[in-house]
Amino acid sequence: MKSYASFKVFSLIFGAVYMSLFWLNEFYGIAFLRYYPVLGGFYNERQPPETAGPAILWYFWLSGALAASLVVSLVVPRKWAERIPHNWVWLVSAALFVAIFVYERRWFY
Amino acid sequence: MVQLLVILHALLAVGLLGALTHQAFSVARRPSAHGHSFVDRYRGVNSPTFTNVIVLLFVITSIGGGLLYPRYRIDVRSTLEDLQLRAANGVFEIKEHFAALGLGLLPAYWLFWRPPLAAEYAAARKYVTWMLAFVVWWNFLVGEVLNNIKGLYP
Repeated sequence: MKSYASFKVFSLIFGAVYMSLFWLNEFYGIAFLRYYPVLGGFYNERQPPETAGPAILWYFWLSGALAASLVVSLVVPRKWAERIPHNWVWLVSAALFVAIFVYERRWFY
Repeated sequence: MVQLLVILHALLAVGLLGALTHQAFSVARRPSAHGHSFVDRYRGVNSPTFTNVIVLLFVITSIGGGLLYPRYRIDVRSTLEDLQLRAANGVFEIKEHFAALGLGLLPAYWLFWRPPLAAEYAAARKYVTWMLAFVVWWNFLVGEVLNNIKGLYP
C-alpha cells in the first residue's frame, strides 16, 4: 500500500491546480493554450472571435493539472506522501466542489 | 460520426453510473447478515471488483466527452446562448469541472479500493466513492437534459 502513497499526492494536487488554472483565466484572462474548434487547432495567443469563433480552455486546464500533479507526485519523497492524512484527499476535493458551486451560481441569476 | 460518439458516450456513462452506484451503496453502511431486501442485495455486491472497471470507464467516458466538446461548443452552446438558457450553460460548466475533478480523484480512489481493503482507508474510501458517484450522476443527468433540450424547451 505504502508504495502507492504518491497517488494521494496526485489527487490532491490535480484538483487544486485545475481550479487554479481555471480561476487564473477567469480573473486575469491568462491561458497558455487555447483550442479553437472552428480553426481546428491549438494556439498560444487569443484569436479574433469574428474569424476564430469560441475557444475551449478545458483541455489546457486538464493537461496543466495532469502535468503538475504528475511532476509533484513523482518528486515528493515517499515518506512525506505517506504522512499525508488520507482524509485530506476528499476534504480538499469537497472544498473544491463547494467552490465550484459558489462560483458558478452566476449562471442561475 | 458525432451521433455514434454521443450514443457510445451515453452507453459508457450508463455502465459507469450502474457500477459506481452499486459501490456507493455498498459503502453506505455495513450490510446486515440477514438482509434479503432489494436494497441489501443491491448493496451486497463484491464492490472491490468494480474498481478497475470504474476507473477505465471514467477515463474512456471522459475522453469521449472531450472529443464531443468542440461540436458542443460550436453548435449546442451557441444555440443555448441564442435561446438565453443561461442555466443550461451553467450546469454544463459545472459538468466539465466535475469531470476534471473526478479524473483527478481516480488515483486516490483506486488506492483506497485496492484489495485487501485497508481499514485505515475506510472513511476516505467512502467519501471519495460518494463524490465520484455524485459527479457521475450530475454529469449523466446534465448530459441527458442538454442532449434533449430542444424537446424539453420547445
